[in-house]
Amino acid sequence: MSAGVGTMLATEWRKTATTKLAWVLAIIAIGYSSLQAGMLVLLAAPGILDRLAGTATTPTGMLTNPDYLTSTLGQVSTASTFVLLMGIVAMTGEYRHMTITSTYLASPRRSRVLVAKMLLFAAIGVAVAVLTMIAVTITLMVALIPFDHAPLTADMWLSVLLGSVIGLVLYAVLGVSIGALIPNQVAAIVTALLWMLLLEPLIGLTFPKVGMWLPGDALKAAMDVGLRSEFSGQLVSADTLPVWGGILLLIGYAAVFGAIASRTTLSRDIT
Amino acid sequence: MGAMTLVDGPTIEVDSLTKRFRRSVTAVDDLSFTVQPGRVTGFLGPNGSGKTTTLRCLLGLVRPTQGRALVGGRAYADLADPLHVVGGALEASGFHPGRTGRNHLRIIATAAQVPLSRADDVLEFVGLADAARRRVVEYSLGMRQRLALAAALIGDPGALILDEPANGLDPEGIAWLRTFLRARAAEGATVLVSSHALAEIQQTVDDVVIINRGRLVHAGPLAGLADRSSGRVLVRSPEADRLMSALRDAGAQTEPRADGSWLVIGLSPAEVGHQAHVGGFELHQLSAEPDALERMFLDMTGGAA
Repeated sequence: MSAGVGTMLATEWRKTATTKLAWVLAIIAIGYSSLQAGMLVLLAAPGILDRLAGTATTPTGMLTNPDYLTSTLGQVSTASTFVLLMGIVAMTGEYRHMTITSTYLASPRRSRVLVAKMLLFAAIGVAVAVLTMIAVTITLMVALIPFDHAPLTADMWLSVLLGSVIGLVLYAVLGVSIGALIPNQVAAIVTALLWMLLLEPLIGLTFPKVGMWLPGDALKAAMDVGLRSEFSGQLVSADTLPVWGGILLLIGYAAVFGAIASRTTLSRDIT
Repeated sequence: MGAMTLVDGPTIEVDSLTKRFRRSVTAVDDLSFTVQPGRVTGFLGPNGSGKTTTLRCLLGLVRPTQGRALVGGRAYADLADPLHVVGGALEASGFHPGRTGRNHLRIIATAAQVPLSRADDVLEFVGLADAARRRVVEYSLGMRQRLALAAALIGDPGALILDEPANGLDPEGIAWLRTFLRARAAEGATVLVSSHALAEIQQTVDDVVIINRGRLVHAGPLAGLADRSSGRVLVRSPEADRLMSALRDAGAQTEPRADGSWLVIGLSPAEVGHQAHVGGFELHQLSAEPDALERMFLDMTGGAA
Protein backbone atom coordinates (compact mmCIF):
# COMPACT_ATOMS: atom_id res chain seq x y z
CA MET A 1 0.00 0.00 0.00
CA SER A 2 3.01 2.26 -0.37
CA ALA A 3 1.97 5.63 -1.71
CA GLY A 4 1.88 5.60 -5.52
CA VAL A 5 2.28 8.44 -7.97
CA GLY A 6 -1.45 9.25 -7.86
CA THR A 7 -1.43 9.63 -4.08
CA MET A 8 1.67 11.77 -4.13
CA LEU A 9 0.25 14.00 -6.86
CA ALA A 10 -3.01 14.39 -4.94
CA THR A 11 -1.05 15.29 -1.81
CA GLU A 12 1.05 17.87 -3.63
CA TRP A 13 -2.02 19.35 -5.29
CA ARG A 14 -3.73 19.73 -1.93
CA LYS A 15 -0.66 21.52 -0.56
CA THR A 16 -0.55 23.95 -3.46
CA ALA A 17 -4.30 24.53 -3.55
CA THR A 18 -4.41 25.41 0.16
CA THR A 19 -1.87 28.23 -0.07
CA LYS A 20 -2.87 31.68 -1.21
CA LEU A 21 0.40 32.59 -2.91
CA ALA A 22 0.03 29.93 -5.60
CA TRP A 23 -3.39 31.28 -6.60
CA VAL A 24 -2.18 34.88 -6.47
CA LEU A 25 0.74 34.08 -8.79
CA ALA A 26 -1.54 32.22 -11.21
CA ILE A 27 -3.95 35.15 -11.31
CA ILE A 28 -1.09 37.61 -11.81
CA ALA A 29 0.23 35.44 -14.66
CA ILE A 30 -3.14 35.50 -16.41
CA GLY A 31 -3.82 39.18 -15.70
CA TYR A 32 -0.37 40.44 -16.63
CA SER A 33 -0.32 38.58 -19.96
CA SER A 34 -3.78 39.91 -20.85
CA LEU A 35 -2.76 43.44 -19.91
CA GLN A 36 0.34 43.18 -22.11
CA ALA A 37 -1.71 41.92 -25.05
CA GLY A 38 -4.26 44.70 -24.60
CA MET A 39 -1.52 47.32 -24.43
CA LEU A 40 0.09 46.03 -27.62
CA VAL A 41 -3.21 46.41 -29.46
CA LEU A 42 -3.82 49.91 -28.17
CA LEU A 43 -0.29 51.08 -28.88
CA ALA A 44 -0.54 49.78 -32.45
CA ALA A 45 -3.97 51.24 -33.02
CA PRO A 46 -4.02 54.08 -35.53
CA GLY A 47 -3.96 57.47 -33.94
CA ILE A 48 -3.21 56.48 -30.36
CA LEU A 49 0.43 57.53 -30.30
CA ASP A 50 -0.45 60.66 -32.22
CA ARG A 51 -2.72 61.68 -29.46
CA LEU A 52 -0.23 60.75 -26.75
CA ALA A 53 2.82 62.36 -28.31
CA GLY A 54 1.20 65.02 -30.43
CA THR A 55 3.08 63.74 -33.47
CA ALA A 56 2.17 61.63 -36.44
CA THR A 57 4.55 58.70 -35.98
CA THR A 58 2.08 55.86 -35.58
CA PRO A 59 2.96 53.00 -37.89
CA THR A 60 -0.12 52.45 -39.92
CA GLY A 61 -1.68 49.12 -40.56
CA MET A 62 0.06 47.15 -37.84
CA LEU A 63 -3.14 45.56 -36.62
CA THR A 64 -3.84 44.39 -40.15
CA ASN A 65 -0.56 42.48 -40.14
CA PRO A 66 -1.32 38.88 -39.03
CA ASP A 67 2.24 38.49 -37.71
CA TYR A 68 1.79 41.39 -35.36
CA LEU A 69 -1.44 39.84 -34.09
CA THR A 70 0.32 36.51 -33.59
CA SER A 71 3.01 38.14 -31.50
CA THR A 72 0.31 39.98 -29.51
CA LEU A 73 -1.40 36.68 -28.86
CA GLY A 74 2.05 35.36 -27.97
CA GLN A 75 2.02 37.51 -24.81
CA VAL A 76 0.69 34.34 -23.20
CA SER A 77 4.33 33.32 -22.89
CA THR A 78 5.03 36.13 -20.37
CA ALA A 79 3.18 33.90 -17.89
CA SER A 80 6.27 31.67 -17.92
CA THR A 81 8.00 33.94 -15.40
CA PHE A 82 5.14 33.52 -12.96
CA VAL A 83 4.85 29.75 -13.26
CA LEU A 84 8.60 29.58 -12.66
CA LEU A 85 8.03 31.53 -9.44
CA MET A 86 5.11 29.23 -8.55
CA GLY A 87 7.41 26.22 -8.84
CA ILE A 88 10.10 27.91 -6.74
CA VAL A 89 7.60 28.95 -4.06
CA ALA A 90 6.05 25.47 -3.87
CA MET A 91 9.38 23.81 -3.14
CA THR A 92 11.00 26.49 -0.97
CA GLY A 93 7.78 27.11 0.98
CA GLU A 94 8.17 23.64 2.47
CA TYR A 95 11.51 24.65 3.94
CA ARG A 96 10.43 28.16 4.88
CA HIS A 97 7.51 26.93 6.97
CA MET A 98 9.16 23.63 7.93
CA THR A 99 6.24 21.67 6.50
CA ILE A 100 9.06 19.66 4.94
CA THR A 101 9.02 17.71 8.24
CA SER A 102 5.45 16.47 7.68
CA THR A 103 6.23 15.93 4.02
CA TYR A 104 9.19 13.65 4.70
CA LEU A 105 7.37 11.86 7.52
CA ALA A 106 4.72 10.92 4.97
CA SER A 107 7.21 10.21 2.21
CA PRO A 108 10.68 9.45 3.55
CA ARG A 109 12.02 8.81 0.06
CA ARG A 110 12.79 12.40 -0.64
CA SER A 111 13.50 12.37 -4.35
CA ARG A 112 9.97 11.03 -4.90
CA VAL A 113 8.62 14.21 -3.36
CA LEU A 114 10.63 16.25 -5.86
CA VAL A 115 9.43 14.17 -8.80
CA ALA A 116 5.81 14.43 -7.63
CA LYS A 117 6.12 18.21 -7.36
CA MET A 118 7.65 18.39 -10.85
CA LEU A 119 4.81 16.32 -12.31
CA LEU A 120 2.18 18.42 -10.57
CA PHE A 121 3.74 21.64 -11.80
CA ALA A 122 3.91 20.29 -15.33
CA ALA A 123 0.13 19.91 -15.07
CA ILE A 124 -0.20 23.35 -13.51
CA GLY A 125 1.87 24.73 -16.41
CA VAL A 126 -0.68 23.30 -18.85
CA ALA A 127 -3.59 24.72 -16.87
CA VAL A 128 -2.10 28.21 -16.54
CA ALA A 129 -1.18 28.22 -20.25
CA VAL A 130 -4.72 27.31 -21.30
CA LEU A 131 -6.35 29.81 -18.93
CA THR A 132 -3.93 32.57 -19.94
CA MET A 133 -4.59 31.75 -23.58
CA ILE A 134 -8.32 32.13 -23.04
CA ALA A 135 -7.89 35.41 -21.13
CA VAL A 136 -5.51 36.88 -23.71
CA THR A 137 -7.80 35.82 -26.54
CA ILE A 138 -10.83 37.46 -24.95
CA THR A 139 -8.79 40.61 -24.24
CA LEU A 140 -7.64 40.77 -27.86
CA MET A 141 -11.11 40.20 -29.28
CA VAL A 142 -12.50 43.01 -27.13
CA ALA A 143 -9.57 45.38 -27.72
CA LEU A 144 -9.68 44.84 -31.48
CA ILE A 145 -13.38 45.63 -31.87
CA PRO A 146 -12.97 49.35 -32.69
CA PHE A 147 -10.15 48.81 -35.19
CA ASP A 148 -9.51 47.37 -38.60
CA HIS A 149 -7.49 44.22 -38.03
CA ALA A 150 -6.38 40.99 -39.59
CA PRO A 151 -8.51 37.99 -38.61
CA LEU A 152 -7.47 35.87 -35.64
CA THR A 153 -7.07 32.49 -37.28
CA ALA A 154 -7.17 29.00 -35.78
CA ASP A 155 -3.63 28.42 -37.09
CA MET A 156 -2.31 31.40 -35.19
CA TRP A 157 -4.17 30.40 -32.10
CA LEU A 158 -3.08 26.76 -32.10
CA SER A 159 0.58 27.52 -32.71
CA VAL A 160 0.65 30.05 -29.87
CA LEU A 161 -1.24 27.67 -27.59
CA LEU A 162 1.07 24.76 -28.31
CA GLY A 163 4.15 26.91 -27.83
CA SER A 164 2.81 28.38 -24.58
CA VAL A 165 1.86 25.02 -23.13
CA ILE A 166 5.34 23.69 -23.87
CA GLY A 167 7.00 26.80 -22.45
CA LEU A 168 4.95 27.05 -19.27
CA VAL A 169 5.23 23.34 -18.51
CA LEU A 170 9.01 23.48 -18.85
CA TYR A 171 9.39 26.65 -16.79
CA ALA A 172 7.08 25.44 -14.01
CA VAL A 173 9.13 22.24 -13.73
CA LEU A 174 12.36 24.24 -13.90
CA GLY A 175 11.05 26.41 -11.05
CA VAL A 176 10.54 23.36 -8.82
CA SER A 177 14.07 22.18 -9.57
CA ILE A 178 15.51 25.62 -8.77
CA GLY A 179 13.60 25.64 -5.50
CA ALA A 180 15.04 22.23 -4.64
CA LEU A 181 18.54 23.44 -5.41
CA ILE A 182 18.15 26.68 -3.41
CA PRO A 183 15.73 25.85 -0.54
CA ASN A 184 16.00 29.37 0.90
CA GLN A 185 12.91 31.01 -0.59
CA VAL A 186 14.16 34.59 -0.75
CA ALA A 187 17.53 33.53 -2.14
CA ALA A 188 15.88 31.35 -4.79
CA ILE A 189 13.47 34.06 -5.95
CA VAL A 190 16.12 36.78 -5.99
CA THR A 191 18.53 34.53 -7.89
CA ALA A 192 15.90 33.58 -10.46
CA LEU A 193 14.79 37.19 -11.02
CA LEU A 194 18.34 38.54 -11.23
CA TRP A 195 19.17 35.82 -13.69
CA MET A 196 16.13 36.32 -15.91
CA LEU A 197 16.02 40.12 -15.84
CA LEU A 198 19.70 40.99 -15.80
CA LEU A 199 22.33 38.30 -16.23
CA GLU A 200 20.73 36.25 -18.97
CA PRO A 201 19.94 39.17 -21.30
CA LEU A 202 23.45 40.54 -20.70
CA ILE A 203 25.10 37.23 -21.54
CA GLY A 204 22.79 36.80 -24.52
CA LEU A 205 23.72 40.21 -25.93
CA THR A 206 27.43 39.84 -25.28
CA PHE A 207 27.88 36.20 -26.26
CA PRO A 208 24.97 35.08 -28.49
CA LYS A 209 26.64 31.70 -28.97
CA VAL A 210 26.51 31.14 -25.21
CA GLY A 211 23.11 32.77 -24.82
CA MET A 212 21.37 30.23 -27.02
CA TRP A 213 22.24 27.50 -24.52
CA LEU A 214 20.74 29.35 -21.56
CA PRO A 215 17.20 28.65 -20.26
CA GLY A 216 15.73 31.94 -21.55
CA ASP A 217 16.71 31.36 -25.17
CA ALA A 218 15.86 27.67 -24.84
CA LEU A 219 12.38 28.75 -23.75
CA LYS A 220 12.02 31.06 -26.75
CA ALA A 221 13.18 28.26 -29.04
CA ALA A 222 10.85 25.71 -27.45
CA MET A 223 7.84 28.00 -27.84
CA ASP A 224 8.58 28.94 -31.45
CA VAL A 225 6.38 26.25 -32.95
CA GLY A 226 5.02 26.58 -36.49
CA LEU A 227 4.23 29.84 -38.28
CA ARG A 228 7.69 31.25 -37.90
CA SER A 229 6.92 34.57 -39.48
CA GLU A 230 8.90 37.31 -41.10
CA PHE A 231 7.93 39.52 -38.22
CA SER A 232 9.12 37.32 -35.36
CA GLY A 233 12.03 36.21 -37.49
CA GLN A 234 13.43 39.69 -37.13
CA LEU A 235 13.23 39.53 -33.37
CA VAL A 236 14.72 36.10 -32.83
CA SER A 237 18.47 36.03 -33.26
CA ALA A 238 20.08 33.76 -35.79
CA ASP A 239 21.65 31.64 -33.06
CA THR A 240 18.57 29.76 -31.92
CA LEU A 241 18.00 26.11 -31.25
CA PRO A 242 15.22 24.24 -33.03
CA VAL A 243 11.99 23.65 -31.08
CA TRP A 244 12.93 20.15 -30.00
CA GLY A 245 16.38 21.37 -29.05
CA GLY A 246 14.90 24.01 -26.77
CA ILE A 247 12.56 21.48 -25.17
CA LEU A 248 15.31 18.94 -24.55
CA LEU A 249 17.66 21.60 -23.20
CA LEU A 250 15.08 22.83 -20.66
CA ILE A 251 14.19 19.29 -19.60
CA GLY A 252 17.93 18.75 -19.22
CA TYR A 253 18.30 21.82 -16.99
CA ALA A 254 15.42 20.68 -14.73
CA ALA A 255 16.76 17.12 -14.59
CA VAL A 256 20.31 18.21 -13.76
CA PHE A 257 19.15 20.72 -11.13
CA GLY A 258 16.87 18.07 -9.62
CA ALA A 259 19.59 15.42 -9.60
CA ILE A 260 22.09 17.77 -7.97
CA ALA A 261 19.47 18.82 -5.42
CA SER A 262 18.65 15.19 -4.57
CA ARG A 263 22.26 14.55 -3.70
CA THR A 264 22.88 17.82 -1.88
CA THR A 265 20.16 20.07 -0.48
CA LEU A 266 17.38 17.47 -0.32
CA SER A 267 19.47 14.86 1.49
CA ARG A 268 20.42 17.25 4.28
CA ASP A 269 19.31 16.57 7.83
CA ILE A 270 16.02 18.21 8.76
CA THR A 271 16.73 19.72 12.17
CA MET B 1 -4.09 -5.43 30.22
CA GLY B 2 -3.50 -8.33 27.86
CA ALA B 3 -7.19 -8.56 27.05
CA MET B 4 -7.22 -4.87 26.20
CA THR B 5 -4.50 -5.19 23.58
CA LEU B 6 -5.91 -3.81 20.34
CA VAL B 7 -2.82 -2.36 18.79
CA ASP B 8 0.28 -4.22 17.72
CA GLY B 9 2.87 -1.70 18.80
CA PRO B 10 6.33 -2.05 17.25
CA THR B 11 9.45 -2.10 19.39
CA ILE B 12 11.58 1.01 19.06
CA GLU B 13 15.27 0.30 19.10
CA VAL B 14 18.15 2.75 19.28
CA ASP B 15 21.37 0.86 18.71
CA SER B 16 24.83 2.42 19.23
CA LEU B 17 23.49 5.64 17.74
CA THR B 18 25.95 8.46 17.16
CA LYS B 19 25.20 11.73 15.42
CA ARG B 20 27.84 14.36 14.78
CA PHE B 21 26.83 17.57 13.05
CA ARG B 22 29.46 19.06 10.72
CA ARG B 23 32.11 16.75 12.18
CA SER B 24 32.45 18.76 15.35
CA VAL B 25 29.35 18.82 17.52
CA THR B 26 28.48 15.36 18.85
CA ALA B 27 24.76 15.56 19.58
CA VAL B 28 24.25 11.85 20.27
CA ASP B 29 27.09 9.66 21.46
CA ASP B 30 26.89 5.87 21.19
CA LEU B 31 23.36 5.77 22.57
CA SER B 32 21.45 2.48 22.96
CA PHE B 33 18.03 1.81 24.43
CA THR B 34 14.84 -0.07 23.66
CA VAL B 35 11.24 1.09 23.96
CA GLN B 36 8.65 -1.63 24.56
CA PRO B 37 5.07 -1.71 23.26
CA GLY B 38 2.27 -1.41 25.77
CA ARG B 39 4.20 1.06 27.91
CA VAL B 40 4.74 4.79 28.02
CA THR B 41 8.44 5.57 27.96
CA GLY B 42 9.72 8.96 29.03
CA PHE B 43 12.78 10.21 27.17
CA LEU B 44 14.43 12.60 29.57
CA GLY B 45 17.34 14.96 29.52
CA PRO B 46 18.11 18.65 29.84
CA ASN B 47 17.68 20.92 26.83
CA GLY B 48 20.41 20.24 24.29
CA SER B 49 21.12 16.74 25.56
CA GLY B 50 20.36 15.10 22.21
CA LYS B 51 16.73 14.05 22.68
CA THR B 52 15.38 15.79 19.60
CA THR B 53 18.26 14.58 17.43
CA THR B 54 17.61 10.99 18.57
CA LEU B 55 13.89 11.30 17.81
CA ARG B 56 14.64 12.84 14.41
CA CYS B 57 16.95 9.89 13.64
CA LEU B 58 14.09 7.54 14.53
CA LEU B 59 11.81 9.45 12.15
CA GLY B 60 14.26 9.42 9.26
CA LEU B 61 14.76 13.18 9.28
CA VAL B 62 18.36 13.06 10.47
CA ARG B 63 20.85 10.57 9.14
CA PRO B 64 22.87 8.80 11.87
CA THR B 65 26.64 9.16 11.70
CA GLN B 66 26.91 5.66 13.17
CA GLY B 67 24.54 3.09 14.57
CA ARG B 68 20.86 2.56 13.90
CA ALA B 69 17.48 3.89 14.97
CA LEU B 70 14.76 1.37 14.18
CA VAL B 71 11.01 1.07 14.52
CA GLY B 72 9.75 -2.51 14.37
CA GLY B 73 13.21 -3.58 13.18
CA ARG B 74 13.26 -1.16 10.25
CA ALA B 75 14.72 2.23 9.51
CA TYR B 76 11.96 4.81 8.98
CA ALA B 77 12.80 5.25 5.30
CA ASP B 78 12.25 1.51 4.78
CA LEU B 79 8.71 1.53 6.17
CA ALA B 80 6.17 0.91 3.42
CA ASP B 81 3.43 2.96 5.10
CA PRO B 82 5.23 5.10 7.65
CA LEU B 83 2.18 7.10 8.77
CA HIS B 84 0.38 3.87 9.69
CA VAL B 85 3.33 2.61 11.74
CA VAL B 86 4.70 5.67 13.52
CA GLY B 87 3.04 8.92 14.48
CA GLY B 88 5.66 11.61 14.97
CA ALA B 89 5.07 15.03 16.48
CA LEU B 90 8.15 17.18 16.65
CA GLU B 91 8.39 20.86 17.51
CA ALA B 92 5.18 22.78 16.95
CA SER B 93 6.40 24.98 14.10
CA GLY B 94 5.93 22.82 11.01
CA PHE B 95 2.77 24.43 9.74
CA HIS B 96 2.08 26.79 6.88
CA PRO B 97 0.68 29.81 8.72
CA GLY B 98 -1.92 30.55 6.05
CA ARG B 99 -3.35 27.06 6.00
CA THR B 100 -6.23 26.03 8.21
CA GLY B 101 -5.63 23.26 10.72
CA ARG B 102 -8.17 21.18 8.85
CA ASN B 103 -6.39 21.61 5.52
CA HIS B 104 -3.05 20.72 7.12
CA LEU B 105 -4.55 17.44 8.30
CA ARG B 106 -6.35 16.77 5.01
CA ILE B 107 -2.98 16.95 3.24
CA ILE B 108 -1.61 14.31 5.62
CA ALA B 109 -4.78 12.22 5.28
CA THR B 110 -4.30 12.25 1.52
CA ALA B 111 -0.68 11.17 1.87
CA ALA B 112 -1.69 8.43 4.33
CA GLN B 113 -4.42 7.21 1.97
CA VAL B 114 -7.13 7.46 4.59
CA PRO B 115 -10.54 9.14 4.07
CA LEU B 116 -10.46 12.96 4.38
CA SER B 117 -13.07 12.67 7.13
CA ARG B 118 -10.28 11.28 9.30
CA ALA B 119 -8.95 14.86 9.53
CA ASP B 120 -12.20 15.97 11.20
CA ASP B 121 -12.17 12.92 13.48
CA VAL B 122 -8.70 13.63 14.87
CA LEU B 123 -9.43 17.36 15.17
CA GLU B 124 -12.46 16.51 17.25
CA PHE B 125 -10.41 14.05 19.27
CA VAL B 126 -7.71 16.56 20.23
CA GLY B 127 -10.30 19.22 20.99
CA LEU B 128 -9.67 21.48 17.99
CA ALA B 129 -12.98 21.00 16.18
CA ASP B 130 -13.99 24.62 16.80
CA ALA B 131 -10.71 25.94 15.38
CA ALA B 132 -10.63 23.55 12.42
CA ARG B 133 -11.29 26.21 9.79
CA ARG B 134 -9.09 28.88 11.32
CA ARG B 135 -5.65 29.56 9.89
CA VAL B 136 -2.76 28.15 11.89
CA VAL B 137 -1.25 31.63 12.30
CA GLU B 138 -4.11 32.33 14.74
CA TYR B 139 -3.37 29.22 16.83
CA SER B 140 -1.79 29.41 20.28
CA LEU B 141 1.24 27.25 21.11
CA GLY B 142 -1.05 24.80 22.91
CA MET B 143 -3.32 24.56 19.87
CA ARG B 144 -0.33 23.91 17.63
CA GLN B 145 0.74 21.12 19.98
CA ARG B 146 -2.72 19.60 19.68
CA LEU B 147 -2.61 19.97 15.90
CA ALA B 148 0.78 18.24 15.78
CA LEU B 149 -0.63 15.40 17.86
CA ALA B 150 -3.69 15.19 15.61
CA ALA B 151 -1.36 14.87 12.61
CA ALA B 152 0.50 12.05 14.33
CA LEU B 153 -2.77 10.19 14.90
CA ILE B 154 -4.09 10.38 11.32
CA GLY B 155 -2.79 6.98 10.27
CA ASP B 156 -3.79 5.31 13.56
CA PRO B 157 -0.17 4.21 14.11
CA GLY B 158 1.02 1.58 16.58
CA ALA B 159 3.86 3.80 17.78
CA LEU B 160 3.86 7.42 18.89
CA ILE B 161 7.05 9.48 19.04
CA LEU B 162 6.33 12.84 20.62
CA ASP B 163 8.89 15.58 21.27
CA GLU B 164 8.00 17.68 24.33
CA PRO B 165 4.25 17.32 23.70
CA ALA B 166 3.32 18.98 26.98
CA ASN B 167 5.06 22.26 26.07
CA GLY B 168 2.54 25.05 25.89
CA LEU B 169 -0.38 22.94 27.07
CA ASP B 170 -2.54 24.23 29.90
CA PRO B 171 -2.97 22.01 32.98
CA GLU B 172 -6.21 20.67 31.55
CA GLY B 173 -4.44 19.81 28.31
CA ILE B 174 -1.60 18.09 30.17
CA ALA B 175 -4.11 15.99 32.13
CA TRP B 176 -5.88 15.10 28.88
CA LEU B 177 -2.58 14.16 27.23
CA ARG B 178 -1.65 11.97 30.21
CA THR B 179 -4.97 10.10 30.05
CA PHE B 180 -4.67 9.66 26.30
CA LEU B 181 -1.09 8.36 26.37
CA ARG B 182 -1.91 5.93 29.23
CA ALA B 183 -4.94 4.64 27.31
CA ARG B 184 -2.98 4.32 24.09
CA ALA B 185 -0.27 2.27 25.80
CA ALA B 186 -2.93 0.15 27.51
CA GLU B 187 -4.25 -0.68 24.06
CA GLY B 188 -0.81 -2.02 23.17
CA ALA B 189 0.80 0.95 21.44
CA THR B 190 4.43 1.94 21.85
CA VAL B 191 4.68 5.45 23.27
CA LEU B 192 7.94 7.41 23.44
CA VAL B 193 7.59 10.91 24.81
CA SER B 194 10.40 13.34 25.53
CA SER B 195 10.63 15.96 28.22
CA HIS B 196 13.28 18.08 29.90
CA ALA B 197 11.47 17.86 33.26
CA LEU B 198 10.82 14.58 35.01
CA ALA B 199 8.05 16.10 37.12
CA GLU B 200 6.12 16.93 33.94
CA ILE B 201 5.77 13.29 32.87
CA GLN B 202 6.38 11.46 36.14
CA GLN B 203 2.73 10.47 36.44
CA THR B 204 2.50 9.42 32.80
CA VAL B 205 5.41 7.10 32.17
CA ASP B 206 6.16 3.46 32.98
CA ASP B 207 9.77 3.52 31.85
CA VAL B 208 12.39 6.21 31.64
CA VAL B 209 15.38 6.69 29.39
CA ILE B 210 17.59 9.46 30.75
CA ILE B 211 20.34 10.98 28.65
CA ASN B 212 22.84 13.75 29.19
CA ARG B 213 25.25 15.21 26.62
CA GLY B 214 24.09 12.60 24.13
CA ARG B 215 24.96 9.66 26.38
CA LEU B 216 22.75 7.23 28.24
CA VAL B 217 22.55 7.91 31.97
CA HIS B 218 19.81 5.52 33.01
CA ALA B 219 17.22 3.29 31.38
CA GLY B 220 14.59 1.23 33.15
CA PRO B 221 11.23 1.28 34.87
CA LEU B 222 10.32 4.50 36.67
CA ALA B 223 9.48 2.35 39.71
CA GLY B 224 13.14 1.33 39.99
CA LEU B 225 14.21 4.94 39.92
CA ALA B 226 11.61 5.80 42.54
CA ASP B 227 12.94 3.02 44.80
CA ARG B 228 16.43 4.40 44.52
CA SER B 229 15.16 7.83 45.46
CA SER B 230 13.09 6.56 48.40
CA GLY B 231 16.12 6.71 50.69
CA ARG B 232 15.44 10.40 51.31
CA VAL B 233 13.02 10.86 54.18
CA LEU B 234 11.74 13.95 55.98
CA VAL B 235 11.36 13.54 59.73
CA ARG B 236 9.97 15.84 62.40
CA SER B 237 10.17 14.91 66.08
CA PRO B 238 10.25 16.69 69.46
CA GLU B 239 13.09 14.30 70.33
CA ALA B 240 14.96 14.92 67.08
CA ASP B 241 18.50 14.96 68.53
CA ARG B 242 18.23 11.51 70.08
CA LEU B 243 16.26 10.10 67.14
CA MET B 244 18.89 11.35 64.65
CA SER B 245 21.62 9.83 66.75
CA ALA B 246 19.78 6.48 66.63
CA LEU B 247 19.30 6.79 62.87
CA ARG B 248 22.98 7.57 62.34
CA ASP B 249 23.79 4.46 64.33
CA ALA B 250 21.54 2.56 61.89
CA GLY B 251 23.67 3.84 59.01
CA ALA B 252 21.83 6.97 57.86
CA GLN B 253 23.12 10.43 57.14
CA THR B 254 21.08 13.24 58.68
CA GLU B 255 20.79 16.88 57.76
CA PRO B 256 18.86 19.53 59.67
CA ARG B 257 16.59 21.69 57.55
CA ALA B 258 15.69 25.32 57.95
CA ASP B 259 12.07 24.57 58.91
CA GLY B 260 13.10 22.42 61.89
CA SER B 261 12.61 19.09 60.18
CA TRP B 262 15.41 16.68 59.33
CA LEU B 263 16.39 15.03 56.07
CA VAL B 264 17.40 11.41 56.56
CA ILE B 265 19.39 9.91 53.69
CA GLY B 266 20.03 6.19 53.25
CA LEU B 267 16.99 4.67 54.94
CA SER B 268 13.49 4.05 53.61
CA PRO B 269 10.48 5.59 55.38
CA ALA B 270 9.68 2.10 56.78
CA GLU B 271 13.19 1.74 58.23
CA VAL B 272 13.05 5.19 59.82
CA GLY B 273 9.63 4.36 61.30
CA HIS B 274 10.99 1.11 62.68
CA GLN B 275 13.92 2.86 64.39
CA ALA B 276 11.54 5.42 65.94
CA HIS B 277 9.27 2.67 67.20
CA VAL B 278 12.17 0.66 68.68
CA GLY B 279 13.59 3.73 70.44
CA GLY B 280 10.16 4.90 71.58
CA PHE B 281 10.50 8.33 69.92
CA GLU B 282 7.50 10.51 69.25
CA LEU B 283 7.11 11.34 65.51
CA HIS B 284 5.32 14.39 64.13
CA GLN B 285 6.23 13.80 60.51
CA LEU B 286 7.57 10.88 58.53
CA SER B 287 7.43 11.25 54.76
CA ALA B 288 9.45 10.61 51.64
CA GLU B 289 11.06 13.81 50.40
CA PRO B 290 8.48 15.12 47.92
CA ASP B 291 10.81 16.09 45.05
CA ALA B 292 13.34 13.32 45.66
CA LEU B 293 12.90 11.88 42.18
CA GLU B 294 13.40 15.25 40.52
CA ARG B 295 16.53 15.89 42.62
CA MET B 296 17.91 12.54 41.59
CA PHE B 297 17.16 13.30 37.95
CA LEU B 298 18.95 16.64 38.24
CA ASP B 299 21.94 14.95 39.89
CA MET B 300 22.08 12.43 37.06
CA THR B 301 21.95 15.07 34.36
CA GLY B 302 24.59 17.31 35.83
CA GLY B 303 22.37 19.40 38.05
CA ALA B 304 21.19 21.68 35.28
CA ALA B 305 17.77 22.93 36.31
